[in-house]
Amino acid sequence: MGPGDIPTLDPSLATDTSSIQIAWELFIGLTRQDEVTNEVAPGMAESWTYSEDGKTLTFNLMKDIPWVKYDAVTESVVQVLDCDGNPRVVKAQDFLYGIERTLNPATASQYAYVLAFALAGASDYNNGTSTDFATVGAKVIDDYTLEMTFNENAVYNAAIAGMWVAYPEPSWIISGDDCTEGRGDKWTETGFIQSYGPYVMKEWVHDSMITLVKNPFWAGIPSVPAAKIEEVTWVMLDEQPAFAEYEAGNLDAAAVPSADLDRVKADPVLSAELIVAPNLCSYYYGFNTKAPVVDDVRIRRALSLAVDRQSLIDNVLKGGQIPAQWFSRPGLAGAPTLESHPDLGVKFDPAAGKALVDEYAAEKGIAVDQIDLSLMFNTSSGHQRIAEAIQQMWKDNLGLNVKLVNQEWAVYLETVKSTETPQIWRMGWCPDYADANNFIKEVFDVNGSSNPAKDGEPYGGINWKDEAFSAKLLEAARELDPAKRVELYAEAEQMLVWDEAAIIPIYWYSRNTVTKPYVTRTFGSAGQEAIEKWDIDMAAKLGQ
Amino acid sequence: MGRFVARRLIYMVVVLLVVSLITFGLMHAVPGGPFDKEKALPPEIMKNLEKRYHLDQPLWQQYLSYLNSVVIPHFNTTAPGYTVDSDYLINVKLGTVWLHWMNFGPTYSSRSRTVNDIFRQQLPISAQLGFMALMVSLFIGVPLGILAALKQNTIFDYLGMSVAIFGVSVPVIVLGPLMIWIFGVTLKWLPPTGWGAKPPYVLGIFPSKLDWGFFQHAIMPSIALGLGGSAVIARLTRASLLQVVREDYIRTARAKGLEERKVITNHALKNSLIPVVTILGPMFASLITGTFVTELTFGIPGMGKYFVTSITNRDYPVIMGTILLYAVFLVIANLIVDIMYAYLDPRIRYD
Repeated sequence: MGPGDIPTLDPSLATDTSSIQIAWELFIGLTRQDEVTNEVAPGMAESWTYSEDGKTLTFNLMKDIPWVKYDAVTESVVQVLDCDGNPRVVKAQDFLYGIERTLNPATASQYAYVLAFALAGASDYNNGTSTDFATVGAKVIDDYTLEMTFNENAVYNAAIAGMWVAYPEPSWIISGDDCTEGRGDKWTETGFIQSYGPYVMKEWVHDSMITLVKNPFWAGIPSVPAAKIEEVTWVMLDEQPAFAEYEAGNLDAAAVPSADLDRVKADPVLSAELIVAPNLCSYYYGFNTKAPVVDDVRIRRALSLAVDRQSLIDNVLKGGQIPAQWFSRPGLAGAPTLESHPDLGVKFDPAAGKALVDEYAAEKGIAVDQIDLSLMFNTSSGHQRIAEAIQQMWKDNLGLNVKLVNQEWAVYLETVKSTETPQIWRMGWCPDYADANNFIKEVFDVNGSSNPAKDGEPYGGINWKDEAFSAKLLEAARELDPAKRVELYAEAEQMLVWDEAAIIPIYWYSRNTVTKPYVTRTFGSAGQEAIEKWDIDMAAKLGQ
Repeated sequence: MGRFVARRLIYMVVVLLVVSLITFGLMHAVPGGPFDKEKALPPEIMKNLEKRYHLDQPLWQQYLSYLNSVVIPHFNTTAPGYTVDSDYLINVKLGTVWLHWMNFGPTYSSRSRTVNDIFRQQLPISAQLGFMALMVSLFIGVPLGILAALKQNTIFDYLGMSVAIFGVSVPVIVLGPLMIWIFGVTLKWLPPTGWGAKPPYVLGIFPSKLDWGFFQHAIMPSIALGLGGSAVIARLTRASLLQVVREDYIRTARAKGLEERKVITNHALKNSLIPVVTILGPMFASLITGTFVTELTFGIPGMGKYFVTSITNRDYPVIMGTILLYAVFLVIANLIVDIMYAYLDPRIRYD
């Protein structure tokens, strides 16, 4: 876990990997995406049924899952009792409370937008147009049955229903009831928080560490087994000190700082503990397709063809990343893979790129080295190194002189999403839910994250609108046959990165991790680790 | 002296007001907002957030309500609650009425915490580290400077000043990882990172236990952080002492036949410390309120990080809080320095 405090454990408010990681151990959604394959499996809902139009899902919940908390006095995990002294169990009402709280404008949840776009009526409730929560497509049928109605009959609805923004929340500890003092904003603090998942929060020392203990009341289901490790502690350290702690034997798993990677690979012990695991994020350069010069698709495609991604990875990044041919990272549900689509998208081909640039220059009657181009990125030594390497590739392969400009992060974000979007800019994307829809549609469709629009007309980012592209994405979202769905996304990717060449996909991320040999673990691909599946051989650990 | 201190305290209030106004103006003038992310938020979500944090109000109103919650004491009958809006630093029960004072506001990066929480939980750690680093600076710097001055142009002088140059030239960013690697990872004498105390703190500042568990974490960062300061102090002490021993009153003392040891300790040393004390003020303020690189290198959960990340994150209340905190420490430290002048040099009078 990185340096700095975990922002929050509140499922309604979590936005970042570390917050979601802890919430993922404390709570379980209606459904659970497998941390490795990202397939949707039952979570708190044992099963669910679809209505005829496919838009309404009825979830049947597991019964008698108790709410628990860590009791510091007895140093054990105890059940939470209601006002009559009976154990509180997770009910459909708790889910509804969580969903309501996420969408309530007063909560000001950032990720409410995921529910707002997917759940029927949720957008109006979230933006204050409707103040009646009954207008939102979420209904309690009985204590253990929850009905959710979505805007689209999309395959990823079940995945969205399992996201942290739709986790059940203990209303009594947040807003209080007859026998419980409401803790408001502070309900996630040590001593207050209540949950029901495989782990329970024992102690959260802000900015320093967080400790979870096994929840003995969680018996386990196939997708979320009962925890094996009794107690897990995350320390909030920068990569470098965390790796030092690992080397000193005080941490069992850590990320490898890129500066240490060569040394780790050469070390006989550390190299055996090193695993390069996928990380479902994409790194790319975007074009403002309305800006001078790059408004010509030939220049955009040429710039993309001239990037030697493998060389960049081998010589600059050195972290086992994968050259990206398109945007939606393979491994996401619905995304094409290199095995199924080896020739999709764009590959390094400097000669083809050079021909396009020469054609453009001849047509415009200017010298290639006089073409005015600039690339902007946010100030950071890492992005700087990548930009310089690519600048050199453009110079060597195309003869283009591209200027580099950088801006401080917050300023940069405003720039690239404004009407002043530069010709070429840098950005990355990681999944909220591991589905291609969260990538190509939510980033590049009109009004997507990197294609801001006003009244349906893009004004910044890639600044691009194509009815066929939007239609393709909608069709893919509705397609129930997984194989056909992949094909549809492949076609959309081809439009984005080749036909229109609105972005340059550069690399797909990887994670370099070291784990002590006495730890058995899985490697999460979408940002979360399923700690409940990890095991530790204590005899081997203590004996070493 | 009393009038002098009173006058300075009044100035202090004015200085802090000006600092707060300039900071507030600057941070809102810089482009970019607290909720700008790689994943752009839809405008409706933005609106909810801005409403929640009152960022939709005009700036002058935001500034006035900030002053209101920080400066003006509030009297009411409600006990301290759990909402972020009602988190005051000082809560006193006066009969049936509660006095609430100083709410530095929320932090945009965490919903369950406030700027006051950062002061309560992170500032003590930085203060503990800063105090020990300051001690390291003094205990190495002053003797080294005296030795170098008294044995001017000898091997002691050159050696001492070499150590000083080394201390200034090798930054924590080099020294820290080196120490961690040698003493933490290779020799395993000391824990590589972390801090040996956590809330609650005694009197809000001191660690609850002053044992090996505390000091083993403090040794490396205190030395790494204190070494730079010790070099500055050593050079200042040397230069100042060299100047003082050439003064007439030292010659007089020697002429009286006073022992050299007494001449130095009773007459020269005290006066030569004035420049050192002068620099101790700002040094104290900056060490106590947190040091970004040292804390990051050694994984210490102190305040330092907040000075930097609050600005990159546009976390407005944290920017205001950290800057005002630093300003308060700086102004008070300088006031104490001015008071100390009068004791060190009887010729200095304020009234």
